[in-house]
Amino acid sequence: MIATIETYLTIGLGHYLTVSVILFCLGLLGIMTRRNILVVYMSLELMLNAANLALIAFSRFNQNLDGQIMVMMVVTVAAAEVAVGLALIVSLARHKLPIWIDNLNKLKY
Amino acid sequence: MTIILFGILFLPIFSALSITFFSQKHPSISAGISIAISCITFLLTCVLCAMTQSQTLPIEIVYTWLSVGNLSVDLGFLVDRLSLIMLFVVTGVGSLIHIYSKGYMGKDPSLSRYFASLSIFMFSMIGIVLANNFLMIFIFWEMVGLSSYLLIGFWMTKGSAADAAKKAFLCNRIGDTGFLLGIILVWSCLGTLRFGEISNLLSTNPAAFSSLATITGLLLLCGVIGKSAQFPLHVWLPDAMEGPTPVSALIHAATMVAAGVYLLARGFDIFALSAAWPQGLDWLKFSTLDVIATIGAFTALMAALIAVQQNDIKRILAYSTLSQLGYMVMAIGLSYPIAAMYHLTTHAFFKALLFLGAGSVIVALHHEQNIWKMGGLQKRMPITFWTFLIATLALCGIPPLSGFFSKDYIVAEALHKNAYLGTIALVTAFLTTFYMGRLFFVSFIGRTRSKVSDHAKENSTIITMPLILLAIASVFAGFIGIDSYLMPHYSSQSLANTNMVFPYPSIDQAPDNWFKMLIYPFKHAPMAAILSICAVIAGGFLSFIFYFNAKNDILSSKFKTVSLWLKNRLYFDELYQNSAVWLQDKLALICDFIDRWIIGGIIIGIIYRIVDLIGRFCRFSQTGNIQTYTAIFVLGIIVLSYWVINW
Amino acid sequence: MLLTSILLLPLLGALIVLALPASLRVLHRTIAITVTGIAAILSLFLLLGYQGGIQGYQFIHEIPWVPSIGLNYRVGVDGINLGLVIMAAWVSFAAVLVSYEIRQKEKLYYFLLLLMCGGVIGTFASLDMIFFYAMHELALIPTFIMIGIWGRGEKKVYSAFQMAIYLSIGAMMVLAGIICLYAAGGAQTFDMEKLAGIYSQNPMPISLQKWILPLLLFGFGILVGLVPFHSWAPAAYTSAPSAAAMIHAGVLKKFGLYGIVRLILPIMPQTLQPWMEILVIMALINAIYCGLIAIRQKCFAQMISYSSLSHVGFIFLGIAVLNSIGLTGAIFLMIAHGFLAALLFALNGRIYQQIGNTSMDSISGLMQKMPFIGMILSATLMAGCGLPFFGNFVGEFMIFFGTWQSHYSWPTALAVFTGLIISAVYMLRAIRRILHGNLSSIASTAIDAENTWRKLPFILLMIALISIGTYPIILTNKIKDPVNNTLEPVISLTMPDTTNSDSSK
Repeated sequence: MIATIETYLTIGLGHYLTVSVILFCLGLLGIMTRRNILVVYMSLELMLNAANLALIAFSRFNQNLDGQIMVMMVVTVAAAEVAVGLALIVSLARHKLPIWIDNLNKLKY
Repeated sequence: MTIILFGILFLPIFSALSITFFSQKHPSISAGISIAISCITFLLTCVLCAMTQSQTLPIEIVYTWLSVGNLSVDLGFLVDRLSLIMLFVVTGVGSLIHIYSKGYMGKDPSLSRYFASLSIFMFSMIGIVLANNFLMIFIFWEMVGLSSYLLIGFWMTKGSAADAAKKAFLCNRIGDTGFLLGIILVWSCLGTLRFGEISNLLSTNPAAFSSLATITGLLLLCGVIGKSAQFPLHVWLPDAMEGPTPVSALIHAATMVAAGVYLLARGFDIFALSAAWPQGLDWLKFSTLDVIATIGAFTALMAALIAVQQNDIKRILAYSTLSQLGYMVMAIGLSYPIAAMYHLTTHAFFKALLFLGAGSVIVALHHEQNIWKMGGLQKRMPITFWTFLIATLALCGIPPLSGFFSKDYIVAEALHKNAYLGTIALVTAFLTTFYMGRLFFVSFIGRTRSKVSDHAKENSTIITMPLILLAIASVFAGFIGIDSYLMPHYSSQSLANTNMVFPYPSIDQAPDNWFKMLIYPFKHAPMAAILSICAVIAGGFLSFIFYFNAKNDILSSKFKTVSLWLKNRLYFDELYQNSAVWLQDKLALICDFIDRWIIGGIIIGIIYRIVDLIGRFCRFSQTGNIQTYTAIFVLGIIVLSYWVINW
Repeated sequence: MLLTSILLLPLLGALIVLALPASLRVLHRTIAITVTGIAAILSLFLLLGYQGGIQGYQFIHEIPWVPSIGLNYRVGVDGINLGLVIMAAWVSFAAVLVSYEIRQKEKLYYFLLLLMCGGVIGTFASLDMIFFYAMHELALIPTFIMIGIWGRGEKKVYSAFQMAIYLSIGAMMVLAGIICLYAAGGAQTFDMEKLAGIYSQNPMPISLQKWILPLLLFGFGILVGLVPFHSWAPAAYTSAPSAAAMIHAGVLKKFGLYGIVRLILPIMPQTLQPWMEILVIMALINAIYCGLIAIRQKCFAQMISYSSLSHVGFIFLGIAVLNSIGLTGAIFLMIAHGFLAALLFALNGRIYQQIGNTSMDSISGLMQKMPFIGMILSATLMAGCGLPFFGNFVGEFMIFFGTWQSHYSWPTALAVFTGLIISAVYMLRAIRRILHGNLSSIASTAIDAENTWRKLPFILLMIALISIGTYPIILTNKIKDPVNNTLEPVISLTMPDTTNSDSSK
């Protein structure tokens, strides 16, 4: 009984990846369905972090640091992206422009 | 020696450069530089002649200009009797005309440009004379074409002058196309372009060209036809009279147009090869020399005929030049290069004199060139009158003037070798006297025909001095033994396969005093001498009857059709305009059409339309909504991953 | 180091111009003139320092870049590109000098122009294929932008796009070809010299050559304007500002021809012969067809664009006949034509700037108003129809002799005909229309080059053209040895039995 619980509780690569995939899919759904640009943005971050989680998991189970390095890269890029992205959103809001994503379709044919 | 040669060749271009860079704003300085340098080159030529008296000729000095693979082109000087004589003519007549130009062109605002172009001409012409290989001749050949272009078009604001310049250049270019191809053939058959080596090779192995001999000769002949304005490329020379008169005298009478004859004499070994045609063309039996003789004779006759009905003094002289050049070319065709060079030399003197005399008249008459508006000039312009008379007599071939000797050799040889050519030569001699008589009686003798000729006055010394000097040369050039001077040049070459004729059986038998020289033509070929004198007398008599004190041209009123044809120069210009020029125009039109409408319009248009159409459809996928894009993106990833996993 | 400094100077200048504020207009121009001037003068030291008779490249400067894939920065010259580098440097200098016509957005203009200058010098100096290609692109992209912004006429945007599309396709084909060369025989190097060495030891498989050769040939062909891929050229050159047209038509276009000499001839000799026979015909079509079109043009700029295409036909011919005389002539003509085209477009720019159009129907008698420009223009047009003592003549006659030597008899005749007559017809026509005759009213306000600075670019280019024309041995002696090396594999393959092949001398 305990042993079986332990086998369930010993968290393997699969668990990490499952969580990562769930997070990723949540993020994707968020991007595809939410209208508020800020929420879309948060969903995007969720996806990035889902990928980070997978990378760290691989790094842990493959016993090398490549994944960690990638994560550092992603975090750095994400930070820069947030800075630029949020600045864009704030400037949209300041100009009293819509921040609903389906209204931002100026690049239509 | 080397320094002198370099000086002769490069001083004129130095003069042109210094005029262009330093004295463009000071016409008199430019004229001074140019005249001084042309006189220096003449003096240097005399020094050169004196130096070569004691040396064995030819002397060859060679520098490499270019050498790639087995093609090697020299900057080389070839000094032999042929080049010395020609050099003498070019620099001598050239200096006199430089001086004359100062008087003739004195008030023109672009005098510097004039003298710079004239210096370029001297440079190029001397280059042709001194060249030791075909490609160097070709290079300077093109350069004289350029200077001729610049000088014919000197008054470029005048449309007719600019057109004439263009026409001259293009006609020359047509000839030069053949010339360059001929040079390529010579090089590929013999492997060298130097005249000395060519004649050695051909004397040891006359069959070096195998089946290409005649074609090579004919291609080289194209260059001559262009430059010496022989039929069928003769049309540019009369138009070239749009240039200033001294230019007509120097370039279009005395020197440049004679360069073709010089080339024929220079490359005589190649032209004299017996007929050889490649397979498929061997039914053509004639040799290069036959073609040369025919073209020369035809040009001589045709030009003389046209000259009979021209009214512009310079155009008459231009056609006369054509006709005399035809004589020279014919002489070459009869394998008689010495006579050709002899006639070239004497012709240079008296034809330059005729042009300069015409120029003197034109200046005095304020640029009136129609002979029917002249007349009565013998009292008003005595020096011009007498010198012009001497030149006319020399051209017609009255003994003991120089023209008689040189022309008589050609007529005698033509009669001896080929009765048709001989007849043509005699008829041409008759016509020559006739049109020259017409020109002379109408423009100089009799009543004045217009106001301007009434007020004509003799020109200043700067114009008359060259006339007098040239008149002296025209009188005595027959007595200095040009033919016997040239003989060693040709007899030293072993021309195995030519039946070249020399004026004397051997150099020792050449007449050594003036009297023997005078009677030699009568001893040598009495028939020819008498016949040609008869022709001259007949021509002179007829022109006296028709034109002495005539009010208008009797011939043109009596023979209307013929006169119209002759006046319109047998409609050659119209013929070319409607054939060659038309063809080229239409070809260009077709190409332009293809480029503009087929390639530029249809092909590019079709490709453009197709791309445009695809774009129009594809753009509907761009909804502008990020979420749509994301959905498509995700779908794409799913499809791709499915594909990758199940691969 | 010398080569590196020549090609880096303009690029450095570009950066300085970029760093300066846009208001310092005089300074931008001064910097541009200074850097290109120094580069031009330095390039002469190449000529002085080049030692003939030595195998291989000289003035080599090498910096490892990505050694693991065999990509290095490597520049050097031999006889083939020596003249081209010098020509590029001097034409760049002249192009900067004529740029006084630009009066707006000067900072951007000089930045782009200096990029172009550095690019054209770099592309001919590079011995590494990737740099060779990248430098070409570095010069090409500013051309599009310059036509779009400072171009002339209403169709400038269309022309810029047309050119961009054509040349991008060509460049992509070349890039693909270069990558194929890199990958094909397991060479794994981008170095042209090593590549030629490797492929001469173990030839590339014929099955690959069959594809790579046409890819490269037509890629380069499009970049040069081989008929029927030439429509971009007249349109673009008519619309381009003088400097862009000068550098592109004069120098950058030679990239394709130079590429054929460097990347096709020594590397793929086995499949060369049939393609080169086709190229002879295409070259003749180029020369004659474009020459005939030039006769019909009303606009001077169009006419010189077509004449330039016609001349390029001769260069193709010289390459295609595959012998040392023809190829030496072709390389010589590349250099001479570089100067000539630059001069023509500079003059065209001057006339356009003074009169506002270059239609030969409406301009006439310009010689009276512009004696200096008129003189240079006549001389240049004369040079263009192959007058001796100008560089073009030397190149052309060597090509004619070379064509005959390879037993192309009719092509020789046609080439001589085109070179001597057709070119003379359109060149003389231009002189007659523009310079001679009565002064037309539209031209009456034109003024000649005001001072020495304005005259300098014309004088420099003219001196260059005349000096290589009067003293050609200075270049031909340097060109002929590398040319023989380039052709050695071809000649040893195609005529193994001939004893009197031109490599014997």
